Amino acid sequence: MALIRGRDRKSGAQIFTTSMADIVFLLIVFFILTYKVEVDRTTMDLPETWIRIKVPEKAAVISISPPDANPPLTIRVSTGEEMSLPVSTDEEVVTFASTEVAQNPNKEFIVKADENVPYERVDAVLDALKQSKVKYIFLLSEQKTVQ
Amino acid sequence: MKIKKKEIQSEIFTGSMADISFLLIIYFMVSSAFSATRGLDFALPEDTQTPEIKQEDSIDVHVLRGGAIEVDGTGLALEGLLPYVAEKLKQNPDKPVILRTDPDATYGDMIRVFDELRQAPDKIDMEIKTISIPTRREIENLWSMLGIQ
Repeated sequence: MALIRGRDRKSGAQIFTTSMADIVFLLIVFFILTYKVEVDRTTMDLPETWIRIKVPEKAAVISISPPDANPPLTIRVSTGEEMSLPVSTDEEVVTFASTEVAQNPNKEFIVKADENVPYERVDAVLDALKQSKVKYIFLLSEQKTVQ
Repeated sequence: MKIKKKEIQSEIFTGSMADISFLLIIYFMVSSAFSATRGLDFALPEDTQTPEIKQEDSIDVHVLRGGAIEVDGTGLALEGLLPYVAEKLKQNPDKPVILRTDPDATYGDMIRVFDELRQAPDKIDMEIKTISIPTRREIENLWSMLGIQ
């Protein structure tokens, strides 16, 4: 009788979950530390370069959307701390950049443009930045790889 | 008769902690974007130190529509650009490079040439001290000053 009773006693299969909380918290800490708000989320194919310098944090961003985007070739500006906003004319870029430079004469600007954007549009943005007496410009790019 | 007192054990309920943690993880994973944080830099000259660059004293690189390049008026492959620049820099190490781009060329075309010029220290073991990227307005202003239509 005792043997039968013993056979009935099932050993429950369990997944060991005690360390799960530790792993989860480690992941949370990782994400909190690496979390960075991207001020401009325009999706585009950036040009690829071998030379890539780290852009400064909180630099102002001027993005030009791809020609096949909807709407195409939209210019968006961001101070680097707030989400980017669209501007409709090149004069607005000058006004934006001049305001930023007035507050910080060494303010860096990042130009984020799709590789298929006609250079004419980039030229207009660079011209606006030059008119605003911007000193440092970074042209955002992806890492070029050997194909 | 003795009445047994039930001891109430004080516990912090942690059952839902895992759920909250997973929600946080999902939030951070979805909202954090792996953004590009590197690129090509260039400093613009200040008003006080703006050098007057004459075209004949410089190396004129013109990026045409379609990505082809002309260097000092002669068509050249991108691979031939730095050897040409190296020859010129041997004569005058301070020689600036003017990078002009056709308005109908793409931004990618211009960046490809600019990236090539920036690789001069690695490829030809020489540094190009000045790479100037004039805008169309600046070029037109210069031409009108020189009386060129």
